[in-house]
Amino acid sequence: MTKTVGRGALIVYGVLVLLPLAWLLVSSLKTGAEILASPWSFPASPQFQNFANAWSDPQRPIGPAFVNSVIVTVFTLLILIPVGAMAAYVLAKHPFRGSKVVLGLFMSGLMFPHFLTIVPLFKLVQTLGLLNTMSGLVLVYVAYSLSFTIFVLYGFFEGLPDALLEAATLDGCTQSGAFWKVMFPLVKPGVIVVAIFNAIGFWNEYSLALVLFSSGGKTTLPVRIADMATARQYESDWGALFAGVVIVVVPILVAYWFFRDRIQVAMTAGSVK
Amino acid sequence: MAGVSFKNVCKVFGKDVKAVDDLSLDINDGEFMVLVGPSGCGKTTALRMLAGLEEATSGDIYIGETRVNDVPPKDRDIAMVFQNYALYPHMNVYDNIAFGLRLRELKGFFWQLSHMGEAKKIREDIDRRVREVAGMLGIEKLLDRKPKELSGGQRQRVALGRAIVRKPKVFLMDEPLSNLDAKLRIQTRAELIRLHRNLGVTTIYVTHDQVEAMTMGQRIAIMRDGVLQQCDEPETVYNQPANKFVAGFIGAPPMNFIEGTLNGGEVDLGAFKIGVGTNHPAHGMTGKKVIVGFRPEDIYDTRVNCPIPVTPGNTFEAKVDVLEKLGAEDTAYLLCGTIPITATLDPATRIEAGNSATFAVDLDKVHIFDGETEVAIR
Repeated sequence: MTKTVGRGALIVYGVLVLLPLAWLLVSSLKTGAEILASPWSFPASPQFQNFANAWSDPQRPIGPAFVNSVIVTVFTLLILIPVGAMAAYVLAKHPFRGSKVVLGLFMSGLMFPHFLTIVPLFKLVQTLGLLNTMSGLVLVYVAYSLSFTIFVLYGFFEGLPDALLEAATLDGCTQSGAFWKVMFPLVKPGVIVVAIFNAIGFWNEYSLALVLFSSGGKTTLPVRIADMATARQYESDWGALFAGVVIVVVPILVAYWFFRDRIQVAMTAGSVK
Repeated sequence: MAGVSFKNVCKVFGKDVKAVDDLSLDINDGEFMVLVGPSGCGKTTALRMLAGLEEATSGDIYIGETRVNDVPPKDRDIAMVFQNYALYPHMNVYDNIAFGLRLRELKGFFWQLSHMGEAKKIREDIDRRVREVAGMLGIEKLLDRKPKELSGGQRQRVALGRAIVRKPKVFLMDEPLSNLDAKLRIQTRAELIRLHRNLGVTTIYVTHDQVEAMTMGQRIAIMRDGVLQQCDEPETVYNQPANKFVAGFIGAPPMNFIEGTLNGGEVDLGAFKIGVGTNHPAHGMTGKKVIVGFRPEDIYDTRVNCPIPVTPGNTFEAKVDVLEKLGAEDTAYLLCGTIPITATLDPATRIEAGNSATFAVDLDKVHIFDGETEVAIR
């Protein structure tokens, strides 16, 4: 009985998630007129042109924004993962006087809505001369994702037996050698989870990108899509807007699909023996 | 190869937790030394200080002629086998064994790029050594497997292989058999002895199991509360324990202890009296509180196969409370009045629980300890 109710609830949840996605996908292949005339119908003929229109729209092209989002996401991860992993490793395996306070400070960052800091952050980035640059956005993303990254990886590092580190030391590793050759590879499941969750966050992040990196036609995907949505209120190309949203959603879904086993393992790590 | 010396070594954790207290111990070149004691006695801490994983609070530690207190672990030329093996889970057996060699002999990526010929030769040499050690330990077919695909015994061999392949000056082993089942433990015990004989490397082996200590150690060092109690050959430790703790720790079932008072040529134990040999230093003392110790195997049923003369000075009456029949011998838990005594008896006695009988103690093997200091009176 409980099982049936549970399954039923999961099916309802699945439909709630999948239905908008399916509607989005179908709508992205319809003409603007079709979307407005019958929102739930299938297209008479699939309008793949919508994707090309969205990608290279003369005023608000998705293409460059897509490239910007890829660059920002990739570079943020390339900096965030090593920095976060090293910090988490030291806090977990080489505690020092005050390390708990440092950990506490990082954890408090988890509870702090970054939107509250947006004005001083804007000033700071402006003073550094990094306003409307990708490197500025990357640095801000790294900073505000460190809390979550350290929080997750700290748990993974703490779970590794100290004997491994000691064995590596006796085998001839330096501190950094032991970290990169032994400890870091062992928290790979955690790194993948952190990378995926953060990547989803960066890919979809709107407010910071809007404030720090959105002038002169340069911006990231979410800002560009919002821009398109606003503009489409006065235009008729709804198909291109839906196609744009599909372009935003698909990379994350694909990444999730590839790493789903590892994410599942990492999310349940420690819950069962 | 090299000997090892601890000179007045102390280790204090926090403010006042003394894990190791003034340890002085010399381990000879090529010797198999076992550090044994109950948990918390400081044996593992001593080993870890030697490895460089803990810093000695005071005192000096030498490997050969070199004082190693300030030498980093990787430069001490030691190899350690950990209790949980500490194999690198993400590497296969081959890489686990080769890891230390590669780190020490291949000097980094750019060096390898600029010395390709030399690096190739080193890699071939490492390969040869890994396979040689794998062959020696019978794990050559497991080289491609990950640690999680191995049984406990196989993991243990890989951990040994990782230690052996480096040809270190000293092997350190921290309870390496404790995760194996009883049968495999006995088998591996013999293999370790054989391995030590073949390699001849100074080995320091930590265990809480007195059987392992007795069977493996050329000498054994018994520790308690951070203090070394006695260090000697197994037979000496067994036959001439320095104090009551050592006497009770070594031997299974453990030695019987009864408190009594010396009264000239005998000790009054309350329920019965036991003679003290004329050669014994305690002979003739009067009124001194002592603890008398005798091992279960030195007690005989006077009726059957009793190899010692039965006299009023070495016998007592007791009732068998519980009897454990082990086949080769019986362990009898006796009650002499209210005093519990354990005896290992010949099954031919056919004694049963509930029976009473007269038992004789081999007076030559009776130990007398000072009632206050618990040090053996010899």
